[in-house]
Amino acid sequence: MKRILPILLIFSLAWLSLSCREEYEPELDASETGVLIVEGYLDSEGLESELRLSRTVPLSSNSKVLPEKGAQISLIGPGGVQYSFQEIGEGRYSFARNLDENLEYTLEIFLSNGEKYISDPMKPIVTPPILDAGYVRDEEGIEVFVNTQGNQDADDFLWTFEETWIFRPRIRSTYIYRPEIDDVTPRTDEERIDLCYKSVGNSGVLLETSSRFEDQVVFRQTITQIPEGDERMMERYSILISQKAIGPQDVEFWETLKRNSDDLGSIFSPLPSIIRGNIHMEADPDRPVIGQVSLGVVRQQRVYIDREDILPWVSTDDQFDDCFVSADTVFANPSSISNYKNVYTTGAVLPVVPILQGFAIIGYNSAPRRCVDCTLYADRQRPDFWED
Amino acid sequence: MRKVLFICVALFLSFSQLLAQTEKGTEISGFFPGVTFKRFMELVEEDTPYRFYYREGDISDVMVSLQAEKSSLDDLLSTILKDKDLYFSFGSNYSVFISKGKKLDVNLSDAFFKNVNQERQRLSSEVDEAFVRNNRFLIGSPVPGKTTAVLSGTVSSLENEEVISGAIVFEKINYKQSVTDNQGRYSIELPLGRHTIYIQNLGGYIEQRLIDLRGDGNLDMAVGESIFSLSEVVVNSGAISNITRPEMGVQTMTMTEMKKLPAVLGEVDVLKGVLVLPGVNTVGEASVGFNVRGGAADQNLVLFGESTLFNPSHLFGFFSAVNSDMVQEVELLKAGIPANYGGRLSSVLHMKPKFGRSDKVGGTGGIGLLTSRLSVEGPVGEHTTFLVGARTTYSDWVLNYLEDRADFNASRASFYDINVNLRHELGENDALEFTGYFSNDGFRFDPDTLYGYQNQNYALKWRHYFNDQIEGSVTIGRDSYDFEIIGEDNPLNSYQFGFGMEQTYLKGEIRQEFREKHLFRYGLHLNHIRLNPGKIDPYGLQSIVIPDQVEREQAVETSLFFSDEYEINDQWLVSGGLRYNLYTYLGPQTTFTYPEGSSYSEQDVTGEATEESGKPIKTYHGPEFRFSARYSLNNQSSLKAGVNSMRQNIHLLSNTSVISPTDTWKLSDQFIAPQRGIQYALGYFRNMAMNKLEFSAELYYKTMSNLLDYRSGATIILNDNVEQDVLNTNGRAYGIEFYLKKSQGRLNGSVSYTYARSLLKTNPDEGKELINRGKEYSSNFDQPHHAVLILNYEISKRFNTTFSGNYSTGRPITLPVAKFEYAGSERVYFSDRNAQRVPDYLRLDLSINLEGNHKVNKPAHSSWSLGVYNLLGRSNPYSIYFVPQDGILKGYQLSIFANQIPFITYNFKF
Repeated sequence: MKRILPILLIFSLAWLSLSCREEYEPELDASETGVLIVEGYLDSEGLESELRLSRTVPLSSNSKVLPEKGAQISLIGPGGVQYSFQEIGEGRYSFARNLDENLEYTLEIFLSNGEKYISDPMKPIVTPPILDAGYVRDEEGIEVFVNTQGNQDADDFLWTFEETWIFRPRIRSTYIYRPEIDDVTPRTDEERIDLCYKSVGNSGVLLETSSRFEDQVVFRQTITQIPEGDERMMERYSILISQKAIGPQDVEFWETLKRNSDDLGSIFSPLPSIIRGNIHMEADPDRPVIGQVSLGVVRQQRVYIDREDILPWVSTDDQFDDCFVSADTVFANPSSISNYKNVYTTGAVLPVVPILQGFAIIGYNSAPRRCVDCTLYADRQRPDFWED
Repeated sequence: MRKVLFICVALFLSFSQLLAQTEKGTEISGFFPGVTFKRFMELVEEDTPYRFYYREGDISDVMVSLQAEKSSLDDLLSTILKDKDLYFSFGSNYSVFISKGKKLDVNLSDAFFKNVNQERQRLSSEVDEAFVRNNRFLIGSPVPGKTTAVLSGTVSSLENEEVISGAIVFEKINYKQSVTDNQGRYSIELPLGRHTIYIQNLGGYIEQRLIDLRGDGNLDMAVGESIFSLSEVVVNSGAISNITRPEMGVQTMTMTEMKKLPAVLGEVDVLKGVLVLPGVNTVGEASVGFNVRGGAADQNLVLFGESTLFNPSHLFGFFSAVNSDMVQEVELLKAGIPANYGGRLSSVLHMKPKFGRSDKVGGTGGIGLLTSRLSVEGPVGEHTTFLVGARTTYSDWVLNYLEDRADFNASRASFYDINVNLRHELGENDALEFTGYFSNDGFRFDPDTLYGYQNQNYALKWRHYFNDQIEGSVTIGRDSYDFEIIGEDNPLNSYQFGFGMEQTYLKGEIRQEFREKHLFRYGLHLNHIRLNPGKIDPYGLQSIVIPDQVEREQAVETSLFFSDEYEINDQWLVSGGLRYNLYTYLGPQTTFTYPEGSSYSEQDVTGEATEESGKPIKTYHGPEFRFSARYSLNNQSSLKAGVNSMRQNIHLLSNTSVISPTDTWKLSDQFIAPQRGIQYALGYFRNMAMNKLEFSAELYYKTMSNLLDYRSGATIILNDNVEQDVLNTNGRAYGIEFYLKKSQGRLNGSVSYTYARSLLKTNPDEGKELINRGKEYSSNFDQPHHAVLILNYEISKRFNTTFSGNYSTGRPITLPVAKFEYAGSERVYFSDRNAQRVPDYLRLDLSINLEGNHKVNKPAHSSWSLGVYNLLGRSNPYSIYFVPQDGILKGYQLSIFANQIPFITYNFKF
């Protein structure tokens, strides 16, 4: 018996892989799909803001969004004053009005199928300004934060952000093959593929209540964290932080939304909550509608971070680790088998390094397009706001 | 076995005859035309209490031919035996001896047995022992007009002369039984006549005594104890209780039975053992919270002795909080809850504490893969015994595994618990019992958050025996539970959150037997509950978190109860009880005020009201009825019915489907009324094959009101106005449970099947939100089908194996049915609450228990228990969830034990 014990112990340890997580595909009938989604925070000081209308899609669906097009939307003020929205496509409707912040407003939505939805009365909240926005560099990376102070009217805050950064390909090339002249020439500014701008909207819900803190000062509220070595700090990074004060009803909605997405799956997870909002179908108030539309002032601040300011920072991305400039030369001479036409017409490889014989370019060493062309991953267009 | 059976049948037959005769006269009437003398005697035996003793050969040719008309036997025998060289003499108890040649002298017998009847005999030799077993003791003297008599006395140990408590004294005709109390005393009422009295001592052999009961009397018995227990001993009494007791829904498990069950990670678990019983289920494996007959986990009163355990789990549910070595027996009351228990809606789980042995100092212990335990017991002086136990874990490595496999991210965890049970005899009629329990848990659930919780319970009980009929006890005690969370995510926002509750109580109870047919229990419970619903403080010097505290709560509770168990006749046994509960919520308290009839929404607030300290704010009171009845169909089967109404003044606030250490309790206040429930139950009980098979079928229907469910997005922690987030909910549950148990033989075990539903519905008057638009919906633990199989095969006395299987319908969950994009991320749209189910649950386990040899003089007895939990390696989903990962929604199912889990534990006893 005594000799068996250690063997059993080892055996046990080897097998003791306790809990486990597996992928799960639910079998559901798509009966409850097609719920209207309304999203938007409308600025009351004239800043252009968007209201988005869409429908839920089945979980198995490949499309992410099913936009609701052709709706007539207006904000109704006291005494029946109407402020119409402008459809700007893909279920997006634009609004830019200066509103009296002491009055109450209602949102009215007429869908193209004739259904009418209305919101609960809303009162704009004047968001206090962002006191400071900045970042700290630590051993884990970079943390972007804001400081603000709440007041009597604006206790709860919602932050959203949009990030933009310069994206450089692993191998830079300034040359282009022009099939019409069967030659390689330098790229024009419009044709550059070595400098792109990548933009991503945020996908988290950041909420905080200022009355939790002394004097309602929200100090160093983390907006986002950039882990060490992330590609975002390749060269220059910018983040636009939007601060929106919201009311208690809004907090409830956002917390439910957050709870339903962020917190699920751990052993202590709460029950998922039914998410609704402040929009209702006029004819059938029980019909589910998801969306909490708010009115208020959006306070924004943009922060830039340069790679030089946070060095050392080594951006690593495994997917480009196999990127090399090929040693085989593609020759300008059309009689060569490896000539420009044969190699560059498909666009799979691009010329990178010119090969000189004396002063004449006799050919190019090339690299795969995915290592050279930043437009595959980001946008070449320099954003309007971008400051160098 | 066959022989024993035969003897039993023979005894049964002869006793039933005897019983019939005791009520008959001694005069003989009848026409006996030319019958044999043997036949004559048989006829006389039929009609009178007389019993004849003779040698067959002596009387072979004697014929009888006569007519009797209220003649005395003396006269008749004189006539019949005249000139036949046969003589007769009357012995005690209507015995008649027929002898040849010479009249038998029978006058010696009474005096001969006298000394044995009066006092406990010291029996030292085996001859004496055999004598005691085979001798028929004459008890008492007849009182005219009485057909029954009370036999009482003391059972003590043959080896050390200590009294034995908990031994069962019974007879096998009508299965009358009595359990010896702490003084070793028993009392049993039997019809006059001859009986075989059996004494079953826990952990000992069955002993028997032959008696001839003529009137009330005393019989003290010294019985042998042995070092290993026969499971047969324990279960037998249960089998008898199965059909004779009036209560239904009572399940008892001895530690012997429990230890045979395969245990997760090798630790015998008192609460997990309960889960094999019909009508009990759980929402998941990592949850000690259990659900009884469609009731929530907080509706179970978990008692260790007299102490209430508010959080009966260790390590967020992997182990139950009570060390199995400290428990003698676990009893689960699902229905038929006696009036002396109250305060919870669904069930009472009573763990009977074990007290130390009085002969010598000894101990038990176990070493397992995750936990170890050790307990020491023995006497201190002549009148005091102690039992001290401790348990601890070294489970970090399991958590490391969990961390890799699931999203546990727990970097460390530990727990320990300590029990102290003391017993002191104050004299012949008084005893003091002290039980103390302390447990502590600490674990990091994610790297920045530290959780900890403590249970602390102590109780002092004074038992007093007024006389054979009346026993009283007074208990004073205190139970407390608190937990703490420290978050150190960011030095500026570091916090310390705490919750705590405690109750101080006084319980006085009297158990009184009255005129043999009644058993009264009455008493008074006083309870003072104080609660700290939540408190947050900054943690560390840099923290700028503002301290916040939800105002403390307190309440007093008084319960008066009276119950009677009345045996109307052999068929009917009824038990009824009334418990009156008076609950007062006390100040100081500042709350919002709402208009009359409002649903306490935030927009309804009209103002604020403050009550001074100790001032009653709200009083709730009402009766609780307990009624159950048994109707014996025959000796083997009975029908039972019962009605139970219950009230519960405290509520567990939990937004998760499992009990978690972050759940807080709430007292009923002016907005949240006590939970109330009523259960109707009907049952059929049958024992078969000489009580080797027990079968029961129970049907129940239950309604509950003032349950709490939560509105969408409810906040529970640090909420000053919980009334705004809870929804008044009604519930109903119904089901049928089948249970078949074979308790004897080398192959034993049980099968149970339950069909049950548990449904909730938001109270239509609730103005805040109607869950699922006011329709009825499944509760979190509505698992309609549940089946459990347990098979135990005793290969030898030292080697037995247990196989268990557990199947149940998956628990209801709320699943996402659609997706949408909101705030830049893909989100899920959920179905109606609890409209979907996780896949069904199936688990098979195997365990093997190896006992060391049973030599009496061995310094320590050891045993091994090893086995495999989840033999199929099936991943039983515990939860299903969807998370957006890089913008794509992925569904996952999480299983706690997705593989075979082998375990091994070394147990020892010295």
